[in-house]
Amino acid sequence: MKKLYSNKPVIFSLILPGVLVFLFAVLAPICLSVYYGFTDYTGMGEAHLVGFENYIKLFGDHAFGRSLRNSLLLAIGFICIQHPLAIIVAAVLDKLQGKAEGIFRCIYFIPNVISVAVIAYLWKFIYNPDFGLLNNVLKAFGHPGQVNWLSQQNAIWSVLIVLIWHGFGWGMLIYYTGIKNIDPVLYEAASIDGAGWWTTFFRITLPLMKPVIQINVTMAVISALKQMETVYLLTNGGPNNSTQFAANYLYQQAFKAFQYGYGNAIGVVFILICILATVALNRIFKEKQEA
Amino acid sequence: MKKKVIATLLTVAMTASMLAGCGSEKGSIQDSGNAQNQPAEEESAAASADDADEAGEVTIKLFSNLPDRKNGQGLVEQTIIDEYMAANANVTIEVEALDEEAYKTKFKAYAMDGMPDVVSIWGQPSFLDEVLDAGVLAELNEEDYADYGFIAGSLDGFKKNGKLYGLPRNTDIMLFYYNQKMFEDNGWEVPASYEDLMTLCADIKAAGFTPVAMDGGDGWPMACFLTDILVQVAGINYADIVSNAVATGDFSAPEIKQATQILVNSADAGMFQIGYDSQDYGTTMNLFTNGQAAMYCMGSWDCSMALNEDIAPEIRENIRAFTMPVVEGGKGGANDIAAWNGGGYAVSADSKVRDEAVKFLNYMYQPDKLSKYGWENGVGLSAQDQTPYLTGSETELQKQVMEILRNASSISGTPINDCGPSAFKTAVETEIQGVSNGSTSVEDFLAAIGAACK
Repeated sequence: MKKLYSNKPVIFSLILPGVLVFLFAVLAPICLSVYYGFTDYTGMGEAHLVGFENYIKLFGDHAFGRSLRNSLLLAIGFICIQHPLAIIVAAVLDKLQGKAEGIFRCIYFIPNVISVAVIAYLWKFIYNPDFGLLNNVLKAFGHPGQVNWLSQQNAIWSVLIVLIWHGFGWGMLIYYTGIKNIDPVLYEAASIDGAGWWTTFFRITLPLMKPVIQINVTMAVISALKQMETVYLLTNGGPNNSTQFAANYLYQQAFKAFQYGYGNAIGVVFILICILATVALNRIFKEKQEA
Repeated sequence: MKKKVIATLLTVAMTASMLAGCGSEKGSIQDSGNAQNQPAEEESAAASADDADEAGEVTIKLFSNLPDRKNGQGLVEQTIIDEYMAANANVTIEVEALDEEAYKTKFKAYAMDGMPDVVSIWGQPSFLDEVLDAGVLAELNEEDYADYGFIAGSLDGFKKNGKLYGLPRNTDIMLFYYNQKMFEDNGWEVPASYEDLMTLCADIKAAGFTPVAMDGGDGWPMACFLTDILVQVAGINYADIVSNAVATGDFSAPEIKQATQILVNSADAGMFQIGYDSQDYGTTMNLFTNGQAAMYCMGSWDCSMALNEDIAPEIRENIRAFTMPVVEGGKGGANDIAAWNGGGYAVSADSKVRDEAVKFLNYMYQPDKLSKYGWENGVGLSAQDQTPYLTGSETELQKQVMEILRNASSISGTPINDCGPSAFKTAVETEIQGVSNGSTSVEDFLAAIGAACK
């Protein structure tokens, strides 16, 4: 068997599919994107090279700037609201034990098993100013109940709530798994030493969860940058680009405005931002580990 | 030795499976070409022969923007398709239908990788210019349609350099639909001027109803509304003013500025429902059809509401329409209307069954098909002469809309958002949300849409 694995044709045949998938499904599209980013291609007909014109236009594009600002807001929302809550809920679930633990785990994970399209339409109805749940609840408390939840001023916050709520289950489940992997002996020892729930949480759970937190935070930032489906279905970036995100804007420019070249330029900058964010986060976590 | 054989076999099996996965059907890669390099007739004929099997079976793929196949225009289209297949047993027509935005997106994807044989198109620069530049549509012989009864000028939007590439389906008129019973019960009257309209909206709002249901989430209906106001402000100069602005990227003409300001004032006065700038077509229409809104601003294609049995009879039977009232000091009259020949059909340039597809297209446009069935189903006005098909049993709404068109002293042509390239269209439909809700100034709006033309 060892000889079989050191046989070059076998090694070649085993790695070839992976290499080909990488070449044709990842590298080639990126290279094509870089090329089209330098053209005025509309998606049909011929492409003409226009140099850095698309990139110059991109850096003066307010809608793109707003989409990056919204991604940043979402990343902050994920890190400051979704993840702290997810860790606390995961820790509480771990302490619940028995049937309740399983039931609540399922309940918190339900939004993640529902299709994004259903989620988007569900919240569209909840936010509807005429017959939506939220305004009707407000009316029940004596408020006029005519809040426009998806107005230009409110829409981004309404969208952030949906995204944070929708992604909560995943974060919670990963933290929950992490907590379950902590050796129970440590908790027993802490208990014997007289440590309470909060002390145990801050002195044992959180420090041992660092690697899981690092992975979750990195994934949260990338997912904030990549946000597309829910926003597309809920607001499509509107009103007036107030809930625009980079991936949705890229799609609109490439496929709606027939500016395929410009859309690819957005794609290239978008990839660079994702890479930079990942590298920056890795560095931050590495420095903290070394410290 | 045995291991070498196993290794070789593994390699061969892996390579074979990779090649099988990478393989493609013959003819799946098609050259879209351009307008100057249309596929030669012989190639098309040979391809036709390839595609039609020995028994002469032909499959036409139709890509439509009418996903509702049981009501309105979708029903008309499906009826004609069924009739054609019944009359031509060897022909199968496969329909793929998506709603407008999804349709336009997939249309572009198809344009890159081979179009279906018959497609829905729009005879407007924002859609057709890039499509024709890419040469993905087949040229049609205009002489073939001399006796099809097309209204004068209705083919113009579907032509480039004098060549015809598509046929119009409708004549679209921008309308205010209103609930006549609600109007009568509350003593409201159809406004004669824009000032009256504003007063009426205030009265309706005071009575606890939404004055006008507006689909502002999609952007384009509000752009059509702006067109309607601009027609009243600029009169017959509308087309010149807009085409000049698109050509120069300068939208500072006083007429455009005034029309935009009227739109802003109307929205600010509460003419539309709360959250109009984020609500979609269906939600907006429901506001009107379930009696929450007294009026609904949309094109004449929604005349089929009067025959839609999903709408309660007390509303359905009381739907009436009027056009944009005159603006004080404007150059437009009561009979200058915002109307155009927008949607239609075309045949793909690289269709393998092009002859049969053109035959089917011509069948659809026989005067007793699209026009007649469209009229019978109350889907608004055709781009062809419909007078032979008037039965006298039309709905009041149909009669009203026919009367509006008959009395029109001028029609505007293409709405403002469709007058420029698609980047301009996207800019107008996005920015109009901002200017109407007051988050963008009129000047910034006009500058932004002007920049999208350059």
